[in-house]
Formats: sequence, C-alpha cells, structure tokens
Amino acid sequence: MKITGEATVAAPVERVWWALNDPSVLVRTIPGCQQLEETGPDAYRMTVTAGVAAIKGTYDGEVRITDQQEPERFVLHAAGAGAPGTVSADVVVRLEAVGDGTHLTYDADAVVGGVLGGVGQRMIASVARKTAAEFFGNVEDVLTGRAPAMPAGAAAMAELRPDPDGGPRVFTAPARAPGFGAPAAGLGVALGAAAALAGVALGWLIGRRSR
Amino acid sequence: MTTRSVGSRVLRLEDPRLLTGKGRYIDDVGRGALEASFVRSPYAHARVTDIDVSGALDIDGVVAVYTYEDLGGRMADPLPLLLPHPALTHARTAFPLACDEVNHVGEAVVMVVAANRYAAEDACDRIRVTYEQLPPVVGIAAARAADRLVHDDVPGNVAAWLVQEVGDARVAIAAAPHRLVLDLEVERSASMPLEGRGVHARWDPDDDSLRVHTSTQASTSVRAAVAAKLGLPVSKVEVVTPDVGGGFGVKIVHPWPEELLVPWAARALGQPLRWTEDRREHFISSAHERGQVHHVEVGFDEDGVLLGLDVTFWHDNGAYAPYGIVVPIITSTQLLGPYKPGAYRVEFTSLYTNTVIVTPYRGAGRPQACFVMERTMDAIAAELGLDRAEVRLRNFIRPDEMPYDHQMIFQDGRPLIYDSGDFPATLAQLRKLVGWDDFAAYQEAARADGRQVGIGLACYVEGTGVGPYEGGHVQVQTTGRVDVATGLTSQGQGHQTMLAQIVADELGVAVDQVHVTTGDTRRFGYAVGTFASRTAVMSGSAVALAARKVREKALRIAADALEADPGDLEITDGVVHVRGNPSAAVALSTVAVLSNPLRYAFDEESKQATQFAGADLSKPPVAEDDEPGLEGTDYHSPMQSTFANGMHAVVVETDPATAEIKILRYCVVHDCGTLINPMIVEGQIHGGVAQGVGGALYERMVYDEAGQLLNASFMDFLMPYVTEVPKVEIDHLETPSPLNPLGVKGAGEAGVIPGMAVIAAAVEDAEGFPITRMPISPSELFELRRLHGRDRVDEARGDR
Repeated sequence: MKITGEATVAAPVERVWWALNDPSVLVRTIPGCQQLEETGPDAYRMTVTAGVAAIKGTYDGEVRITDQQEPERFVLHAAGAGAPGTVSADVVVRLEAVGDGTHLTYDADAVVGGVLGGVGQRMIASVARKTAAEFFGNVEDVLTGRAPAMPAGAAAMAELRPDPDGGPRVFTAPARAPGFGAPAAGLGVALGAAAALAGVALGWLIGRRSR
Repeated sequence: MTTRSVGSRVLRLEDPRLLTGKGRYIDDVGRGALEASFVRSPYAHARVTDIDVSGALDIDGVVAVYTYEDLGGRMADPLPLLLPHPALTHARTAFPLACDEVNHVGEAVVMVVAANRYAAEDACDRIRVTYEQLPPVVGIAAARAADRLVHDDVPGNVAAWLVQEVGDARVAIAAAPHRLVLDLEVERSASMPLEGRGVHARWDPDDDSLRVHTSTQASTSVRAAVAAKLGLPVSKVEVVTPDVGGGFGVKIVHPWPEELLVPWAARALGQPLRWTEDRREHFISSAHERGQVHHVEVGFDEDGVLLGLDVTFWHDNGAYAPYGIVVPIITSTQLLGPYKPGAYRVEFTSLYTNTVIVTPYRGAGRPQACFVMERTMDAIAAELGLDRAEVRLRNFIRPDEMPYDHQMIFQDGRPLIYDSGDFPATLAQLRKLVGWDDFAAYQEAARADGRQVGIGLACYVEGTGVGPYEGGHVQVQTTGRVDVATGLTSQGQGHQTMLAQIVADELGVAVDQVHVTTGDTRRFGYAVGTFASRTAVMSGSAVALAARKVREKALRIAADALEADPGDLEITDGVVHVRGNPSAAVALSTVAVLSNPLRYAFDEESKQATQFAGADLSKPPVAEDDEPGLEGTDYHSPMQSTFANGMHAVVVETDPATAEIKILRYCVVHDCGTLINPMIVEGQIHGGVAQGVGGALYERMVYDEAGQLLNASFMDFLMPYVTEVPKVEIDHLETPSPLNPLGVKGAGEAGVIPGMAVIAAAVEDAEGFPITRMPISPSELFELRRLHGRDRVDEARGDR
C-alpha cells in the first residue's frame, strides 16, 4: 500500500530539527506514543497505542534508518507488531526550508497484515495521513509556543533516564495533559505508526548530529 | 403397489429438524471442551525466525501452547498430497504448523489450547513471532514472471504442466477459413459456506480410542488420515460428521491442519478439545478457487463449425497443492461442453502464489471452462453475423452419436466419454422457455424506450458421479423401521430424503419408515466423499442395490413362511403378500424377526423366532451361505462418470447512467437423467444459480501486492442476497444414464456452472462490446463503456 503526504511546520528547518532533537518532546508529540528507546546505532524501539475503530491495541515498533542525505532526505524502515496486526513500511522522508517554515513530505510503501490488513486497510491511508498531520501539528505547537516545550511539572511528566549504566536511553510519555497530544484512539495505525516512527527517526538523526 | 416415491416431490425429511433449530452443527458438539485458537501468519511470504510464547503462559486458563517444534512422528511431516498426478511434478504441501517458512497470510504458526476461546485468543495476542519477510508472489502474472519464487526449489513457480491433444489443432486452425483469438480471465472466489470448518476430538484413555467430529465432506478419509498421522489403528478412530452448514467443495479438502492438531492435542492432553473456525480464518486459511487466465485460438468454417481449438491457460493454485490439479484438469476437459471441437489442444500451467490454497469450489473448474467455451461460441457468431443459438446447434454432438468419446482423460483418470444427453432438444426447450426467437423485437422496443437489455445463452456438460465407489447398508428392523447408511456426508442437500425415496421404492415401504445416516464411520466405514455431484449417482445406486438384496432375502423368508413361491410375492406398504391375494401376507417387520433365529425372546414379536416356535428342522437355523438379519450391503463402482448437461439463458438490463446490471429473467433447462425428487433438484439449481450470480457480478478475492486479502469479511466480500437472486424458471429434460441402475446423473453443482458465461453474454448483448473478464461490477462496466467510447449514452439521451 502506498501512502504519501506532506506537512508544513511554521518554523525554520533549524528549529524543527532542534525540536525533533529532543526525545522528551517527541514522546509527547507522537500520537499514542507511550515509550521510546534507543536500541543501538540506527535503531529505535517504541510503543504506540493506536487503532482503527474496534481494531485497536498496543504496537511495539522498531525503526532502522538508511540512505541518509543530510539534511534533506532519509529512508526509514519501520516495523510494528501488535495484537490487531502488523505494519511494516519503508518511508522516504524529505525536509525542505520554505520561506520561514519547513515543508516535510513522506512517501510510504507499507505492508499491513493481520486483522488490520483484512478489515481495516481501506481506512488506513486516510487515517494515517490524519495521524501524521496531528504529529506535525503537535511539533508545530511546541515550536510556536502554543504548547509548552516542557510543561509545568515536566520532570514528573516526561521522564528522561540518561543511561547511568551505559544502557539504552528510555523516554516515557507523561499522562496526557488535556488538549495536548491526544491519544490515537480511533486513528489509524499503519502510517500512524510509520509517521510516528518517522518522527522518532528524525529526532534520532538530529540527536546524532548534535552529539 | 405402494405409491412410487422416486420422481415425486416428497417434502424433505430433514427440514422439520433443520428449520426448527434442532440441527446439530460442529459448534454444538462437545460444549465445555477445551478450545483451541491459532496464531496465523500476518505475512504472505516470510521466514519464521523466532517464536516467543512467554507472554502467553501466565494467562488464566491457558493449558498448552504448541509450535512446530512440539510435533513429533508423522505429525511433523508435510500434510498429505491427496491427489498425486504424473504432471504434478512439483507438489508441495504445508506442515500442520509452519516449520520455518510461511507461504500465505493465514498459515497456522502456533496453536494455543485454553479453557475457552476467549483465553486462547488472548494468549495468541501475546505470542510474539519474529518474521523475516520475503518477497511475495501474488497473482498469475507475477507467478508466470517468476522473478520471485514461492518455493525456492520450484523453478518458475510451476507446480504442474499438462497438455492433452486430439488431432492436430494448430494445423487445423492454420488451415481454417476463419480464425479468432481470445484472452479470457476469471478472478478468485471461494465456497464461503455459512458454517466454517470445525473439529471436536475426544480421546478415551481407557480403550485408547479417538472420536472425532468434523465438518467435512469426507469422513472416512479424515479417519484414515488421522489414524495414519497419529499412529493409531483405523479401528480405534471414529469420525462423525454432524449437520454441515454448507461445504460447496472447501470441506472436501482434508486433513486440514486443525483436523490433525485438535485430535493430536486431545490425545496428548487427555481432554476433549475443539476448534471452530471464525469467518476471518475462513477467508485466509481455508481455500479459494476460480482464478484462471485463458488464451484461446480457434479455427472455424463459414457456417461457424469448429475445425480446431487451441486453449492455453494458467491456473493459480495458491501456496500449496494438496488437492492436486483436479480443477485445471476439469477445466481442460469440460471446456468442450456439448460440442465437437474438431482438433483440440489444451495446455495448462498450474502456478504457485503466496495466497490461500486453491481447491474445488462448486463447479470446480467448470464455470471457467464454460465461460471460455461459450465466450468463444459467441465470438464466432459475432464474427460471422450468425445467431448465437444456431452456431451452437451446428456444433452439438447429436443424440445418435452417444456414447461420444472425446478421446481424452477425465479428472478421475478414466476416459471422457459422454453417456447420454440430447443437446438439440435441450436447446429447443430453452429457446422456447426464454423466448429466444422473439427477443430481438423486445430488445428493439426497449431501446426505443431508452432501455438497454440483452440476452445470453450458455451450455455445459458436467461429468458427475465420479468413482471409485460408494456403498450402502440397508437393514429392516423388527419394528419395520428401515435403517440406511452410506459413508459419504451431507451438507444440506436433502440426501436423507432422496436416499429414503430410493430405498422406499425398492423395498415397498413408506418413505417415512426409512432413516438415513451419512458420514458416520461407526455406521459405514467405506466411502469416498461428497463432491462432483456424486451422491445420487453413487450412494443412490449403492443403496438401491443393497435394498434389492434385502428385498430378495425378505421374499425368500416370506415365501417359506407363506409356503408360496418368492416369484409370486410383492411388498406393499411394508407387507409381503401373494400377488392378487392380500390375505396371504406377512409384515416386513415379522420377516425381520424370522430372519434372525433366537434363543432368547425379548418381546412378543421376537417369540416367533425362538427355538420352539416351529422352525424347519430339516436345515440349520442359519442356512449355509446365509446370514442372520434382514439387511444387505452393496456397492456401486461404475466404469466412468456420467455426464449431465444443461443450458441457461438470462435477460439483463444495464442502466445507461450507473452501469448497474439487473437480471430480468433467468431460465434453466436441465438434464440430470431420472429425477428422484424434482423439488430437491430444483432447490439445487436455485442455490447454484445464486452462486453463479454471485460469481458473475459480486464475488472476488481482492489481494494487494503484498498478498494481504483486503476484503476478508462479509462487510467487503459481497455475496448475493435474496434481493439479487432472480426467480429461476426451470424446465427438465430426462435422458437417463445407462451407467447406473437408477438412470441418474448428478445435479448438485450444475446451477453454478454457466453463471459467468451466460451473464457475460447478456451484458455483451446489451452493451455491444466484448466482455472478457469476470466478475463484472458496475464500475468495471462503466470503465469498459469509456474504453469502447460508449460512455455518452446517457448524455445522448439527455439531449433528446
């Protein structure tokens, strides 16, 4: 299944990258994201709760990055599996500075399996686009100050465990603040997960560059 | 004489039970048993690299979790290849649970056994299987391209390749004054019974025996397979088929993985276990059919008479080929229909794809065959500007040419020789029924009203009642009740009634005295199964022969009792009497008593058979070469199949704006030889026509390029409702088969066979451009109109 989409974030590319550089932001802006974990070079693991109508559940996803052409393009290989089905996708993500903003496009080739594939697939493309739009909208809200980059009590809400033993960095989502980062209940998972994973990958890429 | 039952519209004996909720289907058996659920592959083609079941183990109620690693002995072998064939050079079958590779979405990987299905499914959700995805092969084009392989060791994805040729078709076509080339395609569909598959197994540890209930079309063969796989003597395995909520072919496949795993686990756990398939499982892990692509080259003369026919086709057999190549063999032979093809060459390639397996679905390759041949006939008529019925008539095998030998080998390995049929008479009857000759005027009048109507015609011949045999057992009880058993199974066709009618007539008893049991190995151990429209031909003949043995014995015993000549006796309403002297009589129930010499009486009747009741002292109580009891067993094993035939005509109207296709009339003339019960035959035709309409207009399996079935639910897989099924007008023609004692030919599948062909012909007639691919939806018809520049009909009318 091919899914394409685009988004514009009303912030310069550098600011977008700065925001995406912060996993504690990502974990709060990815719809339905509960946890994300760095598992090694070019690899992340995340847990997303998502669903299409009655077919909802928790997905464990992994991403791998290839073909990096910094800063404008990379290919993300995402795979997620949960009780309702499986999602695997190759997503080409492009970033482009347009005026004062950033134009993002994604081009996904997804395989959706399980109950999700047989029953929910017709709805997935549109729902995935909606989920992706929500993600980029959340990022923009952070960047434009409509939502706080780090809300009050952030320490309690977004826990950052900076690998004291050299283990993986794990970021856990806060309990959802009202009106912010609404859970993905009722949203699609296929590109929802893929878009979310793309966001993780972006954050990871930027994070690596800044180290 | 008792009123003759065969030929009359006896109400179905099974209906009061089935229609009042007293049917007993597989899910009604063994309530309270442990239940199984399966983790199935979400990918069309993948390597299983890891299975982590740890998350499932702490769920309340989980009893056991099995993967391939747990299967030992013959359970670890691939499933049987049911129908080997020399042309099937690369047969591959699945394992009961995936070994290290999965080849279609839905293939079983892990079995969970729990206290109930709820817990079992929860456990399945928590099992993590790691797959390494492999590139999938989806569709006939991808399989033929063969740049990806389903099975690494099967070059070109080719399971089988077979050519049959009679005469030199290519030379005949090259020399013919007229030639045509057609490319014709049929999509995938499926049997889709209301009741899916299901198995219940109970192991008895005290006598090491197993009883399996399964929703199958082949109980005795399931029994043999289960016994072999579990290493049990056949005598320790019973297989019982309860009421079956439809089979339509999918349940002739056996043993399904679940049909082995459930009995195997029931024995391992020492507890009753069951599994009932859900609808999504049925879509992705049972079987489909119909998907074929055909290329036709045909040569003919000025009169439209065939000189040579060369058909090449490609059959999508799915991920595995457990049922062999029966479907494409049937297409390649039954394509000939009622016609003499001149020289004939047919070649098929059966291809693996990463999709659900393909096995016979009602009609079994014939709907495709009929579509190909009848589209060819219509194309010839169009090419020459001849009437479509006339072209067919000129190519028919004539009644005086019967039996007609096509010099080919049929699906049963026996010669393709038509035994009976009067095709010109059938066509004449159909033309009259539908008003073929007046249709042009109707079409013209409709056109003047801005309506588009079209008529189509399609003919078929169906090999029915294939061997090797069926048997029957008939026993008269001392109460006068007659028990009949045959080994094949019933799926709602009315076998209990039809077989009872035959036995009632043979024995001279009332139909409601006859009680028929099917598909129960405890009652009859030898059988083949219910498929190929064979029950009336095979089991019908067998029970008739068995009943004749019983009758002969009854007359012999009664003759002794009445001191009469057996030749002077007849049986009326369950009483044996001297012809012309009703007072010299003995009830059949009494004859049953006398047939079994007793030492011990158990009631008043039975006293007559005891030692001091005045037996003939000049011979032993049971004579040499005789047996106690008034019962008989016999078998029917014919030299070859019988060939039924029929012709359908349909009138359709297509909406000029929306391209909606509406059926206005549907007419059938049907010849299945002697009619045992016309009402039941008509019911079979109605059901078949409904499935034919579904196949022509609605049903298809939509796979995406990744091998995901996108319409695996009744939300998205369209089946015709009663609102889409037309009133079916039926005329019968009876040309008895000379190949069995009843003169019958099969009727179970017939109704579905010409559906796609006849509706394509009618739509073509209404629209004026060729229809070469079925099924056809309004959207597709709309697109075809644009392709053929006919999309301005609506605007043109708007301008008037």
